[in-house]
Amino acid sequence: MTTTVESTAVDRPAASARRRTGPSYLNTHAAWKWLTAIAGIVIALAMLLPIIWMAFTAFKPESDIVAFPPTLWPRELTFEHFVDVWSRIPFARLYLNTIIFAGSVTLISLLFDSMAAYALARLEFSGRGVVLVLILVLLMLPFQVTLIPLYDMLNSIGLTNTLPGMIIPRMTNAFGIFFLRQFFLSLPKDLEEAARMDGASEWRIYWGVIMPLAKPALLTLGLFHFQYNWNDLLWPLIMSADVESATLPAGLALFMGQHVVEYGLLMAGSLLALLPVIAFFLLIQRSFVAGIATTGLK
Amino acid sequence: MTTLQTAQTAPPQAAAARTDAPRRHRSHRKAITAWLFLTPALLVLAAFTLYPMVQAAYLSLTNYNLIRAAEWVGLDNYVELFGDPAFWNAFWNTVYYAAVVTPVTIGLALVLAVFLDRQFAGRAFVRTAIFLPFIVSLGIIAIAWAFLLDPNIGLLSYWLSQVGIVSGQGVLSDPQWAMPAVMFVGVWKNVGFYMVIYLAGLQSIPEDLHEAARLDGANAWQRFRNVTLPLLSNQTLLVSVMALIASLQAFDQIYVMTHGGPFFRTETLVMLIYREGFQELRFGYGAAISWVLLIFVFLLSMIQYGYSQRRQVRY
Amino acid sequence: MHTHHSSDRRRTQRLRSVLIAGGAMAAAASLLLTGCTGAGASGGSTNDPDAKVTLEFWNGFTGPDGPALEQVVDDFNASQDRITVKANIMPWDTLYQKVLTAAAGKNGPDIVAMSASRLPQYAAEGLFQPIDDYYENPDFESDALADAAVSASMFDGENYGVPVNLATMLMYYNMDLFTAAGLDPEAPPTTWDEFAAMVPKLTVDENGDGKPEQYAIALADHETVPMYPPLLWNAGGGIVSEDGTTSELDSEGSLEALNFWVDLVKNKQASPIGLAGADADKLFQTGKAAIEIVGPWMTTGFNDAGLNFGLAPAFAGPSDQITLADVVSMAVPTSADETTKQAAYEFFAYWNSKEGQTTWAEGSGFPPTRADVSSDITGNPYPAVFGAPDVVDNSRVLLPGIAAGGTIMETIFNPALQKALNGKGTVDDIFTEASKQVQAELDK
Repeated sequence: MTTTVESTAVDRPAASARRRTGPSYLNTHAAWKWLTAIAGIVIALAMLLPIIWMAFTAFKPESDIVAFPPTLWPRELTFEHFVDVWSRIPFARLYLNTIIFAGSVTLISLLFDSMAAYALARLEFSGRGVVLVLILVLLMLPFQVTLIPLYDMLNSIGLTNTLPGMIIPRMTNAFGIFFLRQFFLSLPKDLEEAARMDGASEWRIYWGVIMPLAKPALLTLGLFHFQYNWNDLLWPLIMSADVESATLPAGLALFMGQHVVEYGLLMAGSLLALLPVIAFFLLIQRSFVAGIATTGLK
Repeated sequence: MTTLQTAQTAPPQAAAARTDAPRRHRSHRKAITAWLFLTPALLVLAAFTLYPMVQAAYLSLTNYNLIRAAEWVGLDNYVELFGDPAFWNAFWNTVYYAAVVTPVTIGLALVLAVFLDRQFAGRAFVRTAIFLPFIVSLGIIAIAWAFLLDPNIGLLSYWLSQVGIVSGQGVLSDPQWAMPAVMFVGVWKNVGFYMVIYLAGLQSIPEDLHEAARLDGANAWQRFRNVTLPLLSNQTLLVSVMALIASLQAFDQIYVMTHGGPFFRTETLVMLIYREGFQELRFGYGAAISWVLLIFVFLLSMIQYGYSQRRQVRY
Repeated sequence: MHTHHSSDRRRTQRLRSVLIAGGAMAAAASLLLTGCTGAGASGGSTNDPDAKVTLEFWNGFTGPDGPALEQVVDDFNASQDRITVKANIMPWDTLYQKVLTAAAGKNGPDIVAMSASRLPQYAAEGLFQPIDDYYENPDFESDALADAAVSASMFDGENYGVPVNLATMLMYYNMDLFTAAGLDPEAPPTTWDEFAAMVPKLTVDENGDGKPEQYAIALADHETVPMYPPLLWNAGGGIVSEDGTTSELDSEGSLEALNFWVDLVKNKQASPIGLAGADADKLFQTGKAAIEIVGPWMTTGFNDAGLNFGLAPAFAGPSDQITLADVVSMAVPTSADETTKQAAYEFFAYWNSKEGQTTWAEGSGFPPTRADVSSDITGNPYPAVFGAPDVVDNSRVLLPGIAAGGTIMETIFNPALQKALNGKGTVDDIFTEASKQVQAELDK
């Protein structure tokens, strides 16, 4: 029976439900663990299939991509697409543009979103309900609706075809505010109340107490903003004068010809473009779990 | 606008109820602080979202075509819209899409989160794998899906044919299956993100609550139903609002995979807005559809929000 | 963009200001906006032949055509030092949107390339100016250009464009599949009936599961260069009458063609149903379709795939043997002043000069817009094949000069065809109904 006690300490609650299965528990338990792992891997591979296909396709010669019977693994490996992608479009330049665009939007938006969310979740004032509803309405707005009026307005103040023009309208985001507000609501109040007793200003509480506590949520939202802007095609394309000042998706779109799609180049470019976002995620995944552990939510 | 105003009264009541009477004298200073915190975000939203939105409302009352100056047509666009079979087709397609994708995505995200909250070998890999679709550009990955699903030369249909399953004319061009196919890609894309939100929620549930329930003799399902689920209500609200809005605005994968076809079977409202606004140059009409969509989404979310707000738990 | 609309414009601006003032939290926005109207002066109406001009040239020649286009542009820039053309290549979808947003914002390109079939829609809205005077200047050698290419951009009696390229469709057929089916690889079908007779041999269902492993032809019904409409022409039908006023979709010829082909595809499995253009290309490229009728852009891919294919004019229908010509034209926005316009003409003339067309045809594989350079194109055999006089002379542009052309194809013809192919009604019923819708679009 000692083993069971030990395993409870490690296992999450759901697993321990099976303790009552009798003397053969140890065997069933091991089998179940294996089954879980296998099921997990199968689900993972199924989810990854299109991405795996994309990765392998990037290494196939163009004539092998459209071929029958289709294969996942390249019949012949080539690195030409990864070489060509640098010369066919200003790839390095686009990379830089995209980092600046997605990076600054993410950082500024996290700041503004969290400030607004803090006010909406933690400060009581008249008009809060109205602001909240307004945010919800804006959150529901399809982007296609505002595109033209927005462009028109930015153009009249001379911001089209500029990087600030691309970034400024995205400096905050109704979704981000709503997202953080929901997280702030679930944070415990005691630390904050203690700080308030000590006479800390609201800004100190926001910056010194709430923000560190909300690190996992901020990282998650940061990833959301980052991937959204990193992958966005229409907005940077419309707001940039030419390919050199656009972002990666705009450059990659050039491989989708009117009649002929250069699949190899497209997939190689997309794969390279995906790396920073994956790196971001892997980075977060660690701090995400760590962040949760240190929030003191016990 | 009347619908918007009536709906606005709901949350303030909740806020007012929580107001603490003895602290009222500090409320004025607090209000100023609050508005200072809100200022940057509200300025940006007002200038770059609210103003264009109001502008779009104005344009929906004109025959604006993006090129010529707009002429006032009153409610003509709205009148036309309600008699337009293309609008109703897109409307019901959108409802169909949202009614399937929203609950399926949320349910699946929850199941996966509970599953991945347990220890097992390779858990980090599985988590990453499920999350990865979310960070890939849907425009690009939809090309991969279209390739895989191709009934004649696609890898999936080839594998299926190897084990004796005939894929017919292909899901994307089949009037019955095109919608489920784009729905599937929609779920596939977003489930990982919602799963992560649920995971965060699960990990913040104090272990002793489960322990207490276990001592009371609750079985796994009862513990999930009575302890886990209520404590995830914050996450559920967030995820369901997000999932609902995302599915009512479905566009990217449909644009790449079916372009609304075959014969408009997958044309959603946002696809229709795009077609009317940018292809047929009827921006005023497109703006009118947008506003109808907006009001529809708003009403739905308010109902949903009000419903989940009542069930919300704070601790 | 429209000087004559400036009063409307000002009224709109004023209305907008009112709206801003009304918006509770938009005060800051209105501050930003004041004093920013009236930007972008439109130039004079006289041509200044010495002024240095930079022309922003938007086009959608993405993919492998891009480098060929840039080569011609670079050659032009090097050939003189007054005018600099800056090519801005983007996907066509984006281009159509960006042209509109730029038009809405009153700043944009000086030259826009777009499919001739989309041009009338934009011309009708006043986005482009007529450029008939280009064709009157003998220095520009317009007489050498193919008629189909020049007339494609006509709208309402005026010409709004100068051709960038002209692509004709030919029948690609897989010789190995013909041999395997016991057919003569040197004798592709020349008539519909010959083709219909070959379908049972070329559509192969080896394992008898009801789904062929190989199809006689790959006919795309959406997101494609139009593959079905030329079939209507060849039975004496069409989508609209030549003068563009009447729907012909329910004419005897159209219905005959549609019944014939829907039966072949749906019942005899001559082609899969629901192919997009790219799917049809893939099907032929993987050797799973014996025939595809498509433009010159596929030659590179098919050769790289090692296909042993032949090229021939597409089979004749009961009354004709016309093929589709896909034309892209360059247009000048209404906002361009005289100096800009004349500079654009210089570029148009260079593009369509012998030198320009030789470079373009060699690099892209498209046939030249003028027949007299065919013999100069030695590096690539296909421009001459697709640009052969009997092919070009028997080619026709789809729905030329019809502003609603895009709408008719995408929201009426293609969906109706898909309905018929999926068995959602009889061809006669579906297309009689569709014809009424086409007529309604034309009458708008």
